[in-house]
Amino acid sequence: MRLLEYQGKEILRRHGVATPQGRLARTPAEAREAAAELGPVVVKVQIPSGGRGKAGGIRPAADPVQAGERASELLGSTIKGFPVETVLVEEKVALREELYLGLTIDNRRGAAVLMFCASGGMDIEEVAQSHPESVYKLELPAGAELKDYEARQLIRKAGFQGKTLVRLAQVAAQLYQCFSRYDLVVAEINPLGILADGQVVAADCKMEVDDNSLFRHPEFGSEKDELQDPLEREAREIGVTYIKLDGDIGIIASGAGLGMNTMDLILAAGHRPANFLETGGGITRELMRRAVQLVARHEGVRGLIVNLYGGVNPLVAAAEGVVDGVSALPVRLPVVVKALGNQQGEAHAVLESAGIPVVKSIRTEDAVAELVRQLEGQSA
Amino acid sequence: MSILLTEETRAIVQGATGRIGQVQVRWMLEYGTNIVAGVTPGQGGAVVHGVPVYDNVAEAVEKEGADATVLFVPAPYTKDAVLEAIAAGIRLVVAVPEHVPVHDAMAMRRAAREAGVWLLGPNTPGIISPGIGKLGIMPGNMFKPGRIGIISRSGTLAYEVAGYVNEAGYGESTLLGIGGDPVIGPDIPDILAAFEKDPGTDAVVLVGEIGGSAEEEAAPFIARMQKPVVAYIAGRSAPPGRRMGHAGAIIRAGQGTVQDKTRALSAAGAAVATAIAEVPRLLGQRLQGRTKAR
Repeated sequence: MRLLEYQGKEILRRHGVATPQGRLARTPAEAREAAAELGPVVVKVQIPSGGRGKAGGIRPAADPVQAGERASELLGSTIKGFPVETVLVEEKVALREELYLGLTIDNRRGAAVLMFCASGGMDIEEVAQSHPESVYKLELPAGAELKDYEARQLIRKAGFQGKTLVRLAQVAAQLYQCFSRYDLVVAEINPLGILADGQVVAADCKMEVDDNSLFRHPEFGSEKDELQDPLEREAREIGVTYIKLDGDIGIIASGAGLGMNTMDLILAAGHRPANFLETGGGITRELMRRAVQLVARHEGVRGLIVNLYGGVNPLVAAAEGVVDGVSALPVRLPVVVKALGNQQGEAHAVLESAGIPVVKSIRTEDAVAELVRQLEGQSA
Repeated sequence: MSILLTEETRAIVQGATGRIGQVQVRWMLEYGTNIVAGVTPGQGGAVVHGVPVYDNVAEAVEKEGADATVLFVPAPYTKDAVLEAIAAGIRLVVAVPEHVPVHDAMAMRRAAREAGVWLLGPNTPGIISPGIGKLGIMPGNMFKPGRIGIISRSGTLAYEVAGYVNEAGYGESTLLGIGGDPVIGPDIPDILAAFEKDPGTDAVVLVGEIGGSAEEEAAPFIARMQKPVVAYIAGRSAPPGRRMGHAGAIIRAGQGTVQDKTRALSAAGAAVATAIAEVPRLLGQRLQGRTKAR
């Protein structure tokens, strides 16, 4: 779950990192009031996405009247596909230098990686690509503490010294505390600014909380709040993964790998996946009924393929759910089910007695071919 | 023969008294697995399908000589259960739960590596050695005893590949899932090394998928192997860019596509199938080539 900038900055402040002064505004009037307190400001849309500046979502305002105008332009608009409901009205700070400080997880090594780069700002990805040697990295194994001296060593490599070095190292240690405390998978301060007087401030920040850890961070609410697509929101409610694509075949699979492989085979057969729903190991009859209906509701779906293995999943319940879901569809769609594993014989019987075509081979391509046959039979 | 799970393995089930745990205990027993105990804190003294349940892993190790465990505990408790098993001296830990927080997975991985323990998962279907037993959720009817080792990041896809391998008359020595999560216990080369040493395995099938770089990083080891490796990478048609964070992209830039993985694996001498249906034919070629070369 991606936190909004103001949420990330609250966390940073709680851990001792300085940020520009700011107020959250939901109306132009609130933005005017904030600017009256803060002086010249920047009005920044609060959406869970980067690239806000380039998309016109970050605008300076010299006085309260202008701040109100900027807010009224931005509030209610849509930026990068997200409706703008709040703006952060923040004091304008003059940065002498813009740096980059970030933490992420190196999956292969199972460790956090602290990254520091003396050139921050908008195009850090390009800098990292073209000059990878300018990004200094430090690996932090699970449970490790980031010692101040380690952070100083890293930042010294980028050419900083004296008080600035100590201040930057302190921010690095504070950011790592946030990272560990809030189960973050990404924590970035970009730019990390140095002011004319040498003070260090987090001018912008990005934090992403591990969705699987939200049970221990109820303060962040539910991740489905940030989902825009109604089908994705519903998928989250049922507890399945749903990916929207743009073809004509709906896919339900009991595992991610199987689903991806089904997509590959549909493409090879000359069709395109419309979407891809992965149930994981929690199938119930009700979940399956809703999954079928959800996948079929995507516009442009002309057929459905359901590809299941019963290991932890109860195949008979899955089959009953498919029957429920298919029989409640508003229009008849070609459907093919392949279901193998525990209870496969009973599951096939349930499907067949409801008139749903079952492919009993191990080969998913046989199921795809059967669906294609049905689609062609229908259009003929 | 098999790797990791053998006829001597004495396994416990953590979370044996739960809804999923009870069913899986029964299915693992029916498959012939040597399950010696269950463990659920607070449920010591219970019996699940004839298997005694203890309050903690240390007791199960002491009283039943357990040396392996398979977990069916809720994701929030998985880290604690894995650390408990490692502390109690268990040598093989199969962490089935999905949705385990990644910071927890990092701690589990570190503890397992420091103790020299095999940790499969989290989010693994488990390990099965047909004819010997299984620790995990694989449907037993999909597998046959044989001499092919199968390693997979995805459970369901491994079952599918095993089906094709069996249709062609091969069968598996051991099939295991390393785990589908971003941070997992095993590194592919460690598993490949175990198969390389196993006299009961003639060739290995590596089932990968897009994302990360685990397959690419296994390539140098594959290049040194005597036994043939056949690989299949799923996700040719998956949309790029999903779930890739900005900071993540810095260290992962340009990695993780089917093309990258295919290139790296082919250069290391693996035969890379473009569809699962090709896997048996490539296996046949490689196994035959080997016989001729000798």
